[in-house]
Amino acid sequence: MINNESSHGNSPIDYPSALARIGDDESFLEELLDLYKMDFGTKIEGLQKAIEQEDFVSMQELGHSLKGSSANLSLPFLQQAAVDMESAGRDKNLDNARGALGSLGQEFQNLQEFLSAKE
Amino acid sequence: MIQVLIAEDDKLCRTILEKNLNKWGYEIISTEDGKEAWRVIQEKKIQIAILDWIMPKMDGVELCKKIRGKKWDEYIYLIMLTVRSKQSDIRKGFAAGVDDYITKPFDTHELKARLQTGKRIIGLQNQLLDSQKKLQEIATHDTLTNLLNRYEILNILTDEFHRSLRENKPVSTVMLDIDFFKKTNDSYGHNVGDEVLIEVASRLRGTLRRYDKVGRYGGDEFLAILPGCDLKNAGRIAERLRRAVCKERIKTEAGQLYVTVSLGCASSENQSYKSIEYLVKFSDKAMYHAKNMGRNCVIAS
Repeated sequence: MINNESSHGNSPIDYPSALARIGDDESFLEELLDLYKMDFGTKIEGLQKAIEQEDFVSMQELGHSLKGSSANLSLPFLQQAAVDMESAGRDKNLDNARGALGSLGQEFQNLQEFLSAKE
Repeated sequence: MIQVLIAEDDKLCRTILEKNLNKWGYEIISTEDGKEAWRVIQEKKIQIAILDWIMPKMDGVELCKKIRGKKWDEYIYLIMLTVRSKQSDIRKGFAAGVDDYITKPFDTHELKARLQTGKRIIGLQNQLLDSQKKLQEIATHDTLTNLLNRYEILNILTDEFHRSLRENKPVSTVMLDIDFFKKTNDSYGHNVGDEVLIEVASRLRGTLRRYDKVGRYGGDEFLAILPGCDLKNAGRIAERLRRAVCKERIKTEAGQLYVTVSLGCASSENQSYKSIEYLVKFSDKAMYHAKNMGRNCVIAS
């Protein structure tokens, strides 16, 4: 069960906004979050590989894609980390890409913890 | 039911679209890249397409340009869905031919409202196409007999004449005039005359081959075009037309009338006929010859 808790600065997900956006269907939001988590795993692996191979195009593309899905579900911190990854790819800045990858991992863990505490 | 194409590579976004569009009663076809979307658009009757900008194989802008570059039976309403929200991006999208633009993350209530607008535009567009079709029908057909009118039958003759030159095959014309039609009109009135014209037209149309054309050339004159036909065959077909008209009496409000026609044929196999004017003129001459020969006959020489 997901609570309709109002968003605050530290919450990894803005529930009211996400719910309103997808049509006020809680179980659908849960379904989408599961989808997001599965997709996130694949993309993180892709990003790790891209950083190893200094493949800046993939960093930009994967960052762009994560930015979109994070925004769709109102995950502001994950969205920001994805924006940073996209920029790092565009600027061909490997250090920033590594930093963004770390933030993505950390923010994802925060989200997981937050969601399991809600259950 | 409105058929909507979704072209979106992001599974999450696609799922949100699918779920909501289903709920709102749209029929959906989902695709994951631009190329697949282009294939579906050509095969299925799509009325609204929601296109993501950045997709593998072919992006939304390119897909949009491809769609607008082709002629379709019905208008396709295009909505671009993208994270890009800069003014210059929006302008680029519209320049490619999109009708509406929604930035991600989108709000489902807003999407619903925008789809309604799309539905309304499609409705208006279809009304316009319908009235265009009706106008085209009125402009090319004779309102009494529903045969092609003089303007259209001459247009078709021009096309067929040029085709016959290109393909080196003859085209023939048959001019046909109802015998003593003025007498029918004078004796029984114009209503009966109209009944005769309608029935003669219907018998002519029912007798010709599928690819032949017949039109009302003047008051009681009809012109048939027989593609690929030499003069000898034109004579045969004209004879079939003559019999079709006179074989049964025509039922009118003044009783059953025996109606006959006189027919004259001309063919482009005669190399001195250098334009459609010659064909019309000589089939007309042959028709008058048939009148002089005692009517109810065919002249093809």
